[in-house]
Amino acid sequence: MADVLSVGVNLEAFSQAISAIQALRSSVSRVFDCLKDGMRNKETLEGREKAFIAHFQDNLHSVNRDLNELERLSNLVGKPSENHPLHNSGLLSLDPVQDKTPLYSQLLQAYKWSNKLQYHAGLASGLLNQQSLKRSANQMGVSAKRRPKAQPTTLVLPPQYVDDVISRIDRMFPEMSIHLSRPNGTSAMLLVTLGKVLKVIVVMRSLFIDRTIVKGYNENVYTEDGKLDIWSKSNYQVFQKVTDHATTALLHYQLPQMPDVVVRSFMTWLRSYIKLFQAPCQRCGKFLQDGLPPTWRDFRTLEAFHDTCRQ
Amino acid sequence: MGVTCVSQMPVAEGKSVQQTVELLTRKLEMLGAEKQGTFCVDCETYHTAASTLGSQGQAGKLMYVMHNSEYPLSCFALFENGPCLIADTNFDVLMVKLKGFFQSAKASKIETRGPRYQYCDFLVKVGTVTMGPSARGISVEVEYGPCVVASDCWSLLLEFLQSFLGSHTPGAPPVFGNRHDAVYGPADTMIQYMELFNKIRKQQQVPVAGIR
Ligand SMILES: [Zn+2]
Repeated sequence: MADVLSVGVNLEAFSQAISAIQALRSSVSRVFDCLKDGMRNKETLEGREKAFIAHFQDNLHSVNRDLNELERLSNLVGKPSENHPLHNSGLLSLDPVQDKTPLYSQLLQAYKWSNKLQYHAGLASGLLNQQSLKRSANQMGVSAKRRPKAQPTTLVLPPQYVDDVISRIDRMFPEMSIHLSRPNGTSAMLLVTLGKVLKVIVVMRSLFIDRTIVKGYNENVYTEDGKLDIWSKSNYQVFQKVTDHATTALLHYQLPQMPDVVVRSFMTWLRSYIKLFQAPCQRCGKFLQDGLPPTWRDFRTLEAFHDTCRQ
Repeated sequence: MGVTCVSQMPVAEGKSVQQTVELLTRKLEMLGAEKQGTFCVDCETYHTAASTLGSQGQAGKLMYVMHNSEYPLSCFALFENGPCLIADTNFDVLMVKLKGFFQSAKASKIETRGPRYQYCDFLVKVGTVTMGPSARGISVEVEYGPCVVASDCWSLLLEFLQSFLGSHTPGAPPVFGNRHDAVYGPADTMIQYMELFNKIRKQQQVPVAGIR
């Protein structure tokens, strides 16, 4: 008992309060009973009404009385102690049958675990923010409430601007021809033909590159209805590999504030595939490894490496 | 189609044509190549009929009519050093009608057939060349599908050829040097086969041994 008192709960007041709740409940149900029964048979209509109103009044009074009593008692019960770190759940530790219901120890475990999780999640979020893979100007970690509703400005560039950037890149590289089309509204699609080596389909969202597929020079890049086929992959393993590397390059070249520089860097990197079949690996010096030529191009030096020969 | 190199593989010493082919295919399988059906290339020679020759006494040109199982709906007609015509297979019927101008040379039919192997983006066809009933040699065709310009991928092709032909690796086929960066086409392969067949025709017949 001493333990219980130390938790700061007035048990006496508790049991009284429970009885008060019971009293309140029964008086409230009496009110509804009275309403349900309606006016009872009396000689005169006036008598009937009077008796009903008096009865109803009595019932309401008793509800009022019981409610006041409950309010008085609830003050006596007092607030549970703030001392216990787990508040009311700390009372679980009082359960004498630990073996059968180990709720308290489980609760403590869960609490520790969730604390740790929160801590580690915080650390991870900090680290991830430093090396963001997100290519838009939005900063990660900004709460949903504070995130601006409007799209980042780089996503709403006028099509004319995109056209200009692309045609400037087209003029920069004579061995590369870029054909721009907008089959689905404002988003541009590029068909890049690199010499007589390969073709690349580039799906843009404003000036961001969303997706690229690399195919052979002699492969079909259109669907049956004459649209650019942005879904099917190349029949050749070498171009499937180059497609994978191009997708990696999209994540590598990022500068959210200057999307035109990103497109130009990507195209410069892509242009190094003009020697896809002519450049031996810079590491092992061979052309073939497992039947594939060096498909990787270093992001900075543009040197050719086999996928497994790059560092 | 990609760039293709057709070459002749000499019969291994003390071995039959069939045994040499088996040796080669086993090497390919060890490399990791997968067998994918068979192939066949045939060639028939036609003379310009004597009646159409001019009085200047010029020699009749030879015309070769060829088929390739890789292009089952086509027929190829070639002149040596001359143009290559790609037509529908109906062309064979036309040749019968043109009997007055072109006459089929007797027993001139030569063909190569054998297994077809896929290794990564490479297609390898090892064929036994036969004329009439006798095996006359071995043809090795290697196609690199992704590339369309012969001069771009010759070094790469050479490295692949060396991996299973060893010392018998051929030099660059003459058609590779013709046009600098022209797109390689099926006719270029047929020209190589025509040249290979002509070379084999001139060679001494190897003793018939173990051709099935
Ligand atoms: Zn390498």
